[in-house]
Amino acid sequence: MTVLSARQLSVVRGGRAILDAADFDLSAGMFVALVGANGAGKSTLLACLAGLLRPDGGEVRLDGQPLSRLGGRELARRRAYLPQNPRAEWPIAVERLVALGLTPHLPAFGGLPGGFEPRLTEAIVACDLTQHRFQPATTLSGGELARAMLARALIGDPQILLADEPTAGLDPRHGLDTMGRLRRLAVEQGKLVMTSVHDMSLAARHATHLMALRDGKVAAFGETREVLSPGLLREVFDVEARISGAAGDTIIDYRGPA
Amino acid sequence: MRRALPAYVLPAAAFLLLVAVATGSLFLGRVNISPAELWAGIVAPRDSLAGLVVTELRLPRAVLAILVGASLGLSGAVLQGLLRNPLAEPGLLGVSNGAALGAVVSIYFGIEHHFGLATPLLGMVGAIGAGALTFAFGRGSTLTLILAGAAVCSLMSAFLALALNFAPSPYAAYEMSVWMLGSLAERSWDHVILAAPFILAGLAILATMGRAVDALTLGEAQALSLGVNLDRTRMLALLAVGLAVGAATSVTGSVGFIGLVAPHLVRPFVGHQPSRTLLPSALLGAVLLLLADIGTRVIHTNTELRLGALTSLLGAPFFFWLVMRLRKVAP
Amino acid sequence: MRRVLRIAALGLAAAALGAPQAVAAPSAAAPSGAGRPQRIMSLNVCTDLLLLQLAPKARIASVTFMAPQGAAVLFPGRADGVALNHGRAEDVINARPDLILDSALGAPLTRTMARRIGARVVEVKDANSFADIRDIVRQVGAAVGEPQRAEALIGQMDATLAELSSHPPARRLRVVAWSGGSAVPGKGSLTDAIITAAGATNIAAQPGQAESTFGVEELLVARPDALLYGGATLGQPSLVTDQGQHRVVRELYAGRRIRFNDIAHTCGVPQSAQSARDLRRALDALPPSRVGR
Repeated sequence: MTVLSARQLSVVRGGRAILDAADFDLSAGMFVALVGANGAGKSTLLACLAGLLRPDGGEVRLDGQPLSRLGGRELARRRAYLPQNPRAEWPIAVERLVALGLTPHLPAFGGLPGGFEPRLTEAIVACDLTQHRFQPATTLSGGELARAMLARALIGDPQILLADEPTAGLDPRHGLDTMGRLRRLAVEQGKLVMTSVHDMSLAARHATHLMALRDGKVAAFGETREVLSPGLLREVFDVEARISGAAGDTIIDYRGPA
Repeated sequence: MRRALPAYVLPAAAFLLLVAVATGSLFLGRVNISPAELWAGIVAPRDSLAGLVVTELRLPRAVLAILVGASLGLSGAVLQGLLRNPLAEPGLLGVSNGAALGAVVSIYFGIEHHFGLATPLLGMVGAIGAGALTFAFGRGSTLTLILAGAAVCSLMSAFLALALNFAPSPYAAYEMSVWMLGSLAERSWDHVILAAPFILAGLAILATMGRAVDALTLGEAQALSLGVNLDRTRMLALLAVGLAVGAATSVTGSVGFIGLVAPHLVRPFVGHQPSRTLLPSALLGAVLLLLADIGTRVIHTNTELRLGALTSLLGAPFFFWLVMRLRKVAP
Repeated sequence: MRRVLRIAALGLAAAALGAPQAVAAPSAAAPSGAGRPQRIMSLNVCTDLLLLQLAPKARIASVTFMAPQGAAVLFPGRADGVALNHGRAEDVINARPDLILDSALGAPLTRTMARRIGARVVEVKDANSFADIRDIVRQVGAAVGEPQRAEALIGQMDATLAELSSHPPARRLRVVAWSGGSAVPGKGSLTDAIITAAGATNIAAQPGQAESTFGVEELLVARPDALLYGGATLGQPSLVTDQGQHRVVRELYAGRRIRFNDIAHTCGVPQSAQSARDLRRALDALPPSRVGR
């Protein structure tokens, strides 16, 4: 089973600890929602877990092996990463954009080998992009682009998906849509998914686990139903909130500042 | 929603066009040569004036035009893909000016006399040095890179001005200025032999950067996550552009805008996919430079019309047009 | 009168030997006059070379910094000890000349400066023929107060030219002063006059030679018997050196390339006639040309 672990992870910038001794294990089948106020260190944590940022202290291990020991391509095959507000720099067709996710699997030269064509079609269909297949990626709407980027991330069939605010800027329908897909990836396909979210309701309803960050420290980590509480919300967001319902019907009601 | 053309169509068309233009260029010049004479000239070059003109003058000139044009076109395509900016090209990033400075120092301060390879070597040193400065100062956004390029261009121009200032004689200063206008006239196989190894090495390295520039379509973070080693890619690109453009500039002087125009013309036909612009940009760059060179031969002027002057005259308006278009598109 | 002739004869002998001018002080021979300038300054390399040959060093205030190079070729030692200027206003003011020699190009600015310090300016035109050379030698000679000396120099020059024209070469060879594609001296240039005086034909001066660019292709078509090229005096690196020449030209014209002294072609001086004579000697020494195609 895939295990992504952080051991005493620290990142310091300008004297300030952006991440402070973060230590936890993530395993396949988890859909972890990473929550915290702005500046709490969410993006930094995701970047470290993805192996894109070298921590100043501690290390990240994938199945026991430190990330620094894994080659770029090897790591790329096993985990996919989506940054905040991903965009396409050139107006290439959606199918070309999705195919870029296969880069770590391809030889140095040449177009897409024939054997990958079915996978490409599959990925496009799975993310409901068939009608946009040949459309330039820069003309997609927010929701469509989010799906395209997700397809790009998933086409290589990675074991791990790390996404930074994939629902930012999406309307409620597409936000729900994305969170639902991510949950299915973890629960039904056994992948390890971790994303940062601002919308606590979405997180509460779809994520199997919650990790809360406050000032760079992991304030809480565990199954959603165990960890989610007004106390947590007070600690992480400085708000008074009321939580009602459970699991897929959780409602979080913000009352006012703490 | 239509599919893009099959991958081989554009390169094949560009290649055929190149062959046609190159062959045509063999017929053009002060001496009129008929096709029969051309053939006879190639088969038995020493036996006729036409043969001599074709094999010792026009053929090396065409080969050099192809090598230099391909260098500029491919460098432009790789730089635009690397920087995700359609305004990137060796000239704008200071690389061409650096190469010119290196070559001018070699020629006019006598180094070339002692050591024939000095000019292309110093050209490459200048090119790589200027490019490295631009990359070093331009880290951050592509805007800062373009600005750093402008700054490095000015720096190289300042040194070139100094070189002109301290030229060994007034005639040398005049010659330097004229050389910097760029030319393929009177080039021989000697020039081809001198520059070709470095140009080909640079082209070979640039040709391997297809995957990296494609991955960069998604931005640097995603490209990194896909296993692209960005630092190594940047350095390789810098080295390769320095080799190819440095050696090319050292034998022809400064020729600009080919690296800007060629990838831009190619892009719409390959679905804007960066890796697919590489080969066609090289071929189209060669075609454009050959056409410009033919232009300098065909347009009748009293003093020789210089290649760099012609490409700048045609390229600068294109640059304006590009900027105006980007103003509409960019946020 | 006899003394003048003797000095003229000495002058001829000295010129023939190419030795530095060992002539007795020219001023002793010329009629003295109170109006002769005592501090003569030259602001142009061509006027430098005329001044150095015509006036004694004692009356030369300064010549340009380029003069020693030209003097070294034409009359070694003649510029030794003469002050050098860089053509700047400070130089003029510091030298306090009473006569300034300048080319037609520089003269307007010079005239303004000269007016301020009370100096006379003599504007010397560019010489494009031997007739022009005679004119300017006489002009400078009169201005510096050495008209006899000027006539002596002209006499030497004319003697050389007469010798050349009285012994025409067996065959009138075709040449061009070509150095790799830039403008070539055509009709009406001094080089053209020198080539003609040497008994050769300048193919760049032919009627119908409208283009002033003369590239390798034109060269191959025209196939002159020899190529002339300068650069010998300055010795400075430039594109226009052997290495810069096209390989075809190097092969076809190996042994058929004749160097000339730039300075005697750029500046009209009496020694330009010697340049013509050197050219004749070089042409005579050429191997027989291959049958043209």
